[in-house]
Amino acid sequence: MATGIRDKVAIVGMGCTRFGERWDVGADGLMVEAFLEALADAGIERSRIDAAWVGNALDDINVGNSALPAAHALRLDKVPVTRVENMCATGTEALRGAAYAVASGAVDIALAIGVEKLKDTGYGGLPLRTKGVQNDLWMPYGSAPGTFAQLAGAYAARHGIAAADLKRAMAHVSWKSHQNGALSPKAHLRNAVDMDKILNAPLIADPLGLFDCCGVSDGAAAAIVTTPEIARALGKADPVTIKAIQLSASNGWEMQFGAWDGASVPNTRAAAGRAYTEAGIRDPRAQIDMTEVHDCFSITELVIMEDLGLSDEGRAPSDILDGRYDRDGAIPCQLDGGLKCFGHPVGASGLRMAYEVYLQLQGRAGERQRYKVDFGLTHNLGGAPFNSVAAVAILGRLN
Amino acid sequence: MSGVPELVRVDSFGIVAIGGYVPMLRLDRQSAARELAWSGLPMPRAGMRAVADWDEDALTLAVEAARTLVGDVAPDALRFASTSAYFTDRAQSGMALDALGLPRTVRTSDAANSRRAGTTALLDALFGQRDEIVAAGEKRPTQPGSAAQLGFGDGAAAARTGANAPARLAGYASISHDLVDRYSSREHPTSYAYEERFVRDMAVAETLVPAVRDACTAAGIAPDRLAHVAVHEPVGACWRAVAKALGCRATNHCEAVSNAVGDLGAAHALFGLGLAFEAAEPGDFVLLVGFGSGADALVFEVSGPVPGADAMVRALKEGQVLASLSRFLSLTGSIDLDWGMRAEFEQKAQATVLERVGRDVIGFVGGRDSTGNVQFPKSAFPVNPALSQVENMEDVRLADLEATVVSVTADRLNFSPDPPFDFGLVQFENGARVLMEMVNRPAEGFRVGDRVRMRLRIKAQNSRLGFRTYFWKAAPIARPVLGEA
Repeated sequence: MATGIRDKVAIVGMGCTRFGERWDVGADGLMVEAFLEALADAGIERSRIDAAWVGNALDDINVGNSALPAAHALRLDKVPVTRVENMCATGTEALRGAAYAVASGAVDIALAIGVEKLKDTGYGGLPLRTKGVQNDLWMPYGSAPGTFAQLAGAYAARHGIAAADLKRAMAHVSWKSHQNGALSPKAHLRNAVDMDKILNAPLIADPLGLFDCCGVSDGAAAAIVTTPEIARALGKADPVTIKAIQLSASNGWEMQFGAWDGASVPNTRAAAGRAYTEAGIRDPRAQIDMTEVHDCFSITELVIMEDLGLSDEGRAPSDILDGRYDRDGAIPCQLDGGLKCFGHPVGASGLRMAYEVYLQLQGRAGERQRYKVDFGLTHNLGGAPFNSVAAVAILGRLN
Repeated sequence: MSGVPELVRVDSFGIVAIGGYVPMLRLDRQSAARELAWSGLPMPRAGMRAVADWDEDALTLAVEAARTLVGDVAPDALRFASTSAYFTDRAQSGMALDALGLPRTVRTSDAANSRRAGTTALLDALFGQRDEIVAAGEKRPTQPGSAAQLGFGDGAAAARTGANAPARLAGYASISHDLVDRYSSREHPTSYAYEERFVRDMAVAETLVPAVRDACTAAGIAPDRLAHVAVHEPVGACWRAVAKALGCRATNHCEAVSNAVGDLGAAHALFGLGLAFEAAEPGDFVLLVGFGSGADALVFEVSGPVPGADAMVRALKEGQVLASLSRFLSLTGSIDLDWGMRAEFEQKAQATVLERVGRDVIGFVGGRDSTGNVQFPKSAFPVNPALSQVENMEDVRLADLEATVVSVTADRLNFSPDPPFDFGLVQFENGARVLMEMVNRPAEGFRVGDRVRMRLRIKAQNSRLGFRTYFWKAAPIARPVLGEA
């Protein structure tokens, strides 16, 4: 029986660029920026990297296929480099690859790096391309907000909640993230926004308004992982360790079979359940001290709170409005501003989430520091609610 | 040429059913003409014209008109007629065959290059004395400022021929005459019209009067026996002149079509025929006249209700007023809005993929697994979690079924030529669940739980490569009644 990777892999160094409209730098420069910070944090030379996993989701428009863009940018010399892509879950996927390599004993030190250069497209939101494959003949070309907006109607229908009440809870999600983003020096959006402005913003995809949606950003984030033994040898007395990483992918069931009501993301539930088991978490509400979740849209974060088991079914709106996930709430969510305000360079986002938990676990989060963080959870979601890849990671300390 | 084939008389061969389809949007001519009043250009001001959505064309409209005629038994042949078909070297009838779920053994043909193509195809089907479907559809481009832009309409009509028909072909006449009343060409794709008085005089004297007179003679009746007529007039008041010349007093039902939805080109006379059939009593003689480069005149003897005719009358009363002239101009391609970079993406289709799965897509054919659950598209491993082995699925057509909206949004981010872009999951009772675009948006928008029906539409348009693909989109079951909204 599989024993999982709990405490078999330590994170000894992390780096994260400033996210946002990085007119000043390309994908290669972003990777270098995150990598240099991670190397300095780990206290190692580049030559110690035995293998690397690089994540980027939208190869057509920015970074490019294969290992080579990262190997070139970081001048990784004749080491195995693997490019991974799992839509918006790509960042966590890169971390998973690197962690599994260390846990298996295949390598001593591995790099996970995620990067995306989205602001060269010339417009907001994600680009759209078709190549004439089978799905192009019938599947609607909906936008990301269009696909996630559908959670709202389905959620309201399942729980009998009025659209206006749900909209207010969604607005609080964004309000909170703007409050937090203002305290994040590397965040894309660092402005607090009042509720009226959020509630009255132009619609992007009913019922999501402008402030219900995260933008897309340029950015990169990186993690250097190794064994706990090597971490100690590098001077990390109580290193941050990976307690769990789990992933769950749709097999088409949600969008092709009639059983799902559209008001939750089953893959998040599956990945979270396995992650709690792997990490030995028996009572997430009591044991998880903070979360960084995939708040691509406000309704997504709301639903995630139930999918992670942090709110009872149908109770997320009231928990959110009660401040449970605010910075000073019981289980703060998006202390760094989340996708909403820190930004969403797709391939980097999973590692950006880990970066915030990593800082919080070490008491290095500055103004954002929580008084107690023993376990932090990251949740990364690719695709659409009806066709998704969900990744859940739990980080803690070794001792 | 005129007469009636001998067997027609014996077998009561004629039209066994008829169908029509018009797009939902209606432009009020008066308000549109008022917008152009500054120009002093002469515009038709009475009534309304039907306006196709961006994703409707002659093919989709014709298929919608023909759908009700398919039934359980495939016809011997399917004929498509239009002057505005998108493809010039790809048979619309072949695509219509797949869209209607008909077998490949059904003969197909396309008629074009004249507004008379619809009646010509019908006459050929009747000559052959076979069970055939004739479907005519039009979405003709027009130039802003032209009377045609407000006078034309988008729509379709179809008829099925067969024996023991409630509308027997009693006689016909056909006259070929290259009268250039108007034309369009590759270098002038919108209609160029000549002076109305000239057209009326020539059309009435040289084609309409002789054709109608000869058809009545072939049917063995005097023109005053015609109870109802459906005459496609090249310009207004032609029928009045013909009726006066021949001593006939019947109402021309094509005028009601022009008034409600506009001149439907190759589909116009057939649509008017539906209205005439609905108004006719058993024993009545009904005249059909298609005009363009001559005229076809067909006289039918009605012995009972013609299935589908009642729905055509209703279709003219349903719809939604299109209040924005700029939206009308955009939908008709008369103005080219700058939709920004998001509109620049390429919607390419590959022939190899179309060959593999295109028929299932345009026919909306899913698969039934061994438990009875249906899915779209088909797959080797069924999506049904209860099954774990690879299966061969049985074909199940979803196009003719109703479904329920599971989730939906009005997307305003991604490019659509007519935003917002409504899409979401729809659930069929047989188990199939499909992510679909939605059309004919209700005033209050789509909602979870709404019942929807399927409509054939353009899925992707690639104007650079001059290619388009088709798929089905979900629409509300019923349309609003005009004047009640």
